[in-house]
Amino acid sequence: MIELIKHGTKFDFVGKIKYITTFSIILMMVALYGIFTKMNYGVDFRGGAEIQVKFEKNYSMEELRSSLSDAGLKGISVQTIGDDKENTVLIKVQAEEGQLNAISNSVESTLSTRFADNKSDLQKIDIVGPKAGAELRLSGIKAMLWAILSIMIYLAIRFDFRYAPGAVVSLLHDVVVVGGIVAFSGFEFSLQTVAAMLAIIGYSVNDTVIVYDRIREHEENDKTHSKTLRQHINEAVNDTLSRTVLTSGATLLVSASMFFFGGAAIKDFFFAMSIGILFGTYSSVYVAASVTILADDLMKKYQTPKKSSLKKIQA
Amino acid sequence: MKTNWWVRFSALMFFVLMSILVLLPTVVHLKDNSYYPIKSKINLGLDLQGGLYMIMGIDFKKVFKDEVGTYVRKIESLLKDQDIQMSTLDYNLADDTDPKLAFKISTPASMEKAKAKIKEYFSGLIRITNEGPDTLEIALSSTLKKQIEEQSIGKSIEVIRNRIDEFGVTEPEILAQGMDRIVVQLPGVKDIDRAKDLIGKTAKLEFKIVNSASANELGTWLAKVKAANITFKKGDRFSDYLKNVNDFLKADLPEGHEIAFERIKGQTAQEGEENLIPYLVESSPRLTGDDLSDARVDIDQQNNNPYVSLEFKPQGAKRFEVVTGENIGRQLAIVLDGNVYSAPQINSKIAGGRAQITLGQSGDFNRKMSEAKDLALVLRAGALPVQLDFLEQRTIGPNLGADSIDKAKTASIVGCLLVFIFAIFYYRFSGVIAVATLLLNVLFTMAILIGMEATLTLPGIAGIALTVGIAVDANIIIFEKIRDEIRKGISGQKAFEAGYTQALWTILDANITSIAAGICLLNFGSGPIRGFAVTFLIGSVVTVYTAYYGSKILFELYMNKNRSKEISI
Repeated sequence: MIELIKHGTKFDFVGKIKYITTFSIILMMVALYGIFTKMNYGVDFRGGAEIQVKFEKNYSMEELRSSLSDAGLKGISVQTIGDDKENTVLIKVQAEEGQLNAISNSVESTLSTRFADNKSDLQKIDIVGPKAGAELRLSGIKAMLWAILSIMIYLAIRFDFRYAPGAVVSLLHDVVVVGGIVAFSGFEFSLQTVAAMLAIIGYSVNDTVIVYDRIREHEENDKTHSKTLRQHINEAVNDTLSRTVLTSGATLLVSASMFFFGGAAIKDFFFAMSIGILFGTYSSVYVAASVTILADDLMKKYQTPKKSSLKKIQA
Repeated sequence: MKTNWWVRFSALMFFVLMSILVLLPTVVHLKDNSYYPIKSKINLGLDLQGGLYMIMGIDFKKVFKDEVGTYVRKIESLLKDQDIQMSTLDYNLADDTDPKLAFKISTPASMEKAKAKIKEYFSGLIRITNEGPDTLEIALSSTLKKQIEEQSIGKSIEVIRNRIDEFGVTEPEILAQGMDRIVVQLPGVKDIDRAKDLIGKTAKLEFKIVNSASANELGTWLAKVKAANITFKKGDRFSDYLKNVNDFLKADLPEGHEIAFERIKGQTAQEGEENLIPYLVESSPRLTGDDLSDARVDIDQQNNNPYVSLEFKPQGAKRFEVVTGENIGRQLAIVLDGNVYSAPQINSKIAGGRAQITLGQSGDFNRKMSEAKDLALVLRAGALPVQLDFLEQRTIGPNLGADSIDKAKTASIVGCLLVFIFAIFYYRFSGVIAVATLLLNVLFTMAILIGMEATLTLPGIAGIALTVGIAVDANIIIFEKIRDEIRKGISGQKAFEAGYTQALWTILDANITSIAAGICLLNFGSGPIRGFAVTFLIGSVVTVYTAYYGSKILFELYMNKNRSKEISI
């Protein structure tokens, strides 16, 4: 038997809750700061045009930029994609509602006249009107809230209501942290990032569910109520530690290979996904457990303690 | 082996066989005339095969405003027949979802008669919202507005579909999204600009009489427009410019008339005002595109010039005859989407209901030919009931798609291989079983994707790869439980049974929550992102079967052959 995590670990996860909670709160605040101030929204949400051009030969970035601004385009940003050898560039232009249709023509004619001896191929054109951008933003947020809500309801039915807040807070934590890191890294926040966040919500809750499952198993086996919830959580996290690390590792193998070798078109997605897997693992171990303990403490304070607070569902 | 096992094993093998049969046409190149019964290949999304994706919206506020204007014009001609003169006042857009337009009756004495006539002809369609001693303000009735809202989308989709079918795109997708959005997906379209033009054309065809009496004043008016700095710049909407010109000259133009331009496409790409020929035309058309029964391209043998020949419906033909008979010697402007295409002189009364649109004398033949074809096409396919605004447009060149597939494929294979190596290294023979079930997972997911006729997009490939990473989780959960049991000193067979029993609900919980997130993603999904949601969802469902039930079948086989020995895990 090969064991990455030796069997029978007895890490005191719950004991470190104070530090971890402080760390998580600071992390989330920094992430929120990043989201609100540093976020680099992609064309999907900002509106405007994004045009990917592949030149036949080497081109001068300066000339490209100046030729575009000569053509009267506004808010121009130009960046290379991939290897320098590929001569591929991403041109971003801002535009108002009425002019969107004219943009690609205008860029195309500028390129064909100013770079007449260097043939250019317009590989991809994304044009999003400001109205559509605002709608996409709204529907993205809605989809995330629905995902979290439906997971919360499922957990409340399958487990105990006590467990739901922990899972939800850890999901929010994952989404915020991923958003923050995307903001600080300079990667673009695009539709793909939102898709990755939703996938992370689905993925990260798996870890949490598995830990919860084990906690419940421990509580059920503990007929005499000799142990506290904290002890149960500690044991459950240790029991599942091997699985948690292995699964995250396996998923990360795929996600990281896709990030490094998958090409520019899916980089945004797998950047967010890889970060999400890392922090999702962290949050299921720490954030979910901390909040569950907190919720349990609160409930005990305001309710007369029941004999067994568990809702037992026969598996 | 128990019979029960054989039943489950046969089911698994049946699924495998079916999947391979479904996948075969995609993997192996089959001849079109082969006897193989399954023809459907995997649908590649726009991002993989290139093409055009766009979302168009209808601005109902604008539609309502135009509609109110149309009704006021209808009232005007109705009252004219009764010898009541009126003039149109300004729009009242205080509530822009319910625009109102007022007009003034020149003879206040005929107010009651006018009101009665309006009620007689337009009751239920419009409502009078305000009236003064000699003015009336009207708005659309709520039933009419509702009708417009309900019908616009359906009619527009129908018209767009007709146009695209004639354009010859394989498997176009034209869908309504809510009440005011249309999504058009055209995979594999090369000539994107032409497709866009074709779809966006309102194709509102009108025949208007040209007023040549004021020809001399045209120059003066346009100079005045230019002095007021109203010009047409490249990139602007021509319809906006036209509207500005007519608004500005409202006081100068004779009543019931407006300016329209013929746009001469010069040899240079630059289009300026010098290429515009102005006409003073009557505001209300004598005939419209609705009166047409057919439109075709023909070639004028004398000067080798393509033109569009029009054929009117019987009713339209009769009106055309009357109009041409009454206006001999004047010009009849053929106006498409607000612009004059040609303005031939009416030399005699034209019976038989035929007319033609010429496309100018200059320019190269091929360009004129394709222009004529497109024009005939939109006239045949019908006019869009409303103007559509482009909200979102995504174009992917075919080269990029091929490049994306290659890269994503390589990366997926690398990622999956790493997972396979890890599983076999870590779990030994059990790992081999895990790898087998992961391969089954990919096989089934692809087969279901083809069976559902879903589309494989780039994010979809990402979804499949990611599913493999996540599906291995189920194997890990089971194997870790079995290891726990073995550590407790339980025998192989018992440990295997206990492991699978305990893991079931954990695996179900994990995948049900994944599926919940997947469904939210599907609803959010715009375009290619949907592809991820679809494969992620299919993958999550398949995972429960392959990673749990599938691996159990294989594990039982393994345990059967190796009853006394220890589990290699």
